[in-house]
Amino acid sequence: MSDALKQTLDLSMFWEYRAILLQGLIFNALVFLCAASAALSVGLGAALLRVNRFAPMRWIGTLHVEVFRNAPDYIMLVWVHFVLPLLIGTLIRRRVEFHPFVSAVIALGLVYSGYFAEAFRAGIQAIPQGNLDAGRSFGMSERLILWRITLPQVVRRMLPEALNLFISLFKATTIVSLIAVPDLMYNVSMVIQQEMRPLPLYTGAALTYFLVIFLLSSSVRVFSERWRRKILA
Amino acid sequence: MGNWERLVWNQRDVLLAGLGVTLEVCAIAFIAAIVGGLALCLTRLYVAPLRPIAILLIEFFRDTPIFVQLMWVAYVWPEVFGFPHSFFTAGWLALALQSSGYLAETFRAGIEAVPRGQRDAAFSAGMSQPQTFTRIVMPQVVLASAPSIVNQFTVIVKSSTLISVITVPDLMSQSQKLVNVWYEPIEILTATAAIYITFVFLISLAGKLLSDRLRQRYGLAAS
Repeated sequence: MSDALKQTLDLSMFWEYRAILLQGLIFNALVFLCAASAALSVGLGAALLRVNRFAPMRWIGTLHVEVFRNAPDYIMLVWVHFVLPLLIGTLIRRRVEFHPFVSAVIALGLVYSGYFAEAFRAGIQAIPQGNLDAGRSFGMSERLILWRITLPQVVRRMLPEALNLFISLFKATTIVSLIAVPDLMYNVSMVIQQEMRPLPLYTGAALTYFLVIFLLSSSVRVFSERWRRKILA
Repeated sequence: MGNWERLVWNQRDVLLAGLGVTLEVCAIAFIAAIVGGLALCLTRLYVAPLRPIAILLIEFFRDTPIFVQLMWVAYVWPEVFGFPHSFFTAGWLALALQSSGYLAETFRAGIEAVPRGQRDAAFSAGMSQPQTFTRIVMPQVVLASAPSIVNQFTVIVKSSTLISVITVPDLMSQSQKLVNVWYEPIEILTATAAIYITFVFLISLAGKLLSDRLRQRYGLAAS
């Protein structure tokens, strides 16, 4: 047992492969960035549908939010990678295949768009009606009101919540290795197949993710605390 | 519709068996997470010498992605600690560890929200420390954190899809097996996704009703 423990804590092999592992981590960051932008824009769209004047629009928004917020990341990933291309293929009568990276961004973007939509909606509904009426009485168009009055306040209010969602999203990017996006976990399992030494490599991966996410989430905590005080003051 | 019947309805036994395993793993993980979370939280608050260890564990469980933790528990733990012996155990254990970290923080927030004065009042009424904890503090903590606890169950169900990766025959894994037999993923995967989404939706609906109920009856600002 002590031998196994020694092996586990011997991270020299992890260090030996640092170049390829770092490359993997950069891939995690790339998937994160793309999926986050997708989630933000689709989420905003869904939130606007949810506060729309027309009831059918609201239903579509609600359906979007409930489906994607309640979907497990992994099944969405598999569905988008293996089913969506077939569906699109039948529609345009041509063979379609998604690059794993594209599938990963679409799947995670959709799932998190559900969460972001709720954050946006809560922020939008918290804006006092008087603000909007004031905008209208100045002759501002609905679009201008959205960009100049509603969104600036929404963004400020939802920032702490959004940062937490970003962290969850970053954690979720680890599963993209399952459809062969070469992220850190994927490269780790490749090296394990070569070296047959899972102990130090899995431990190294766990520690690396822990350190990165711990640093991110503690800074988010400190920042949010200050931000809330500033907003409330 | 013929495809749906052939690929989904006629395979319902396989899928239901998978759903059974999913439910079993999630239920065990959920109970273990509540027990573990309570233990971590109490250690953090009341056992001063072990406090740094409890904080480190809570942070580690919370800040490590579930997939990474799962692989770690399934492949590293057996060699180092001599257990878990099966992937089934590794599956619920990893799910429980992750959620116990979150629940520990939920419980801590609940305990810290109970006003100091109530504890002092209990003491002065002659209640012992354990009595104060079980009769005064805990009921309020359970009420205040009930919605987050239910929410944590949805997190467990969602993450449980990943145990198919370590060959636990849950719903996800059964449906992937069917896909590999028939090579027709559309119906099977769509049905599986629909089952998961409906299931998680129902749990969160129940959680919402519960928190509304609690708020009405006890006037709690449930979140």
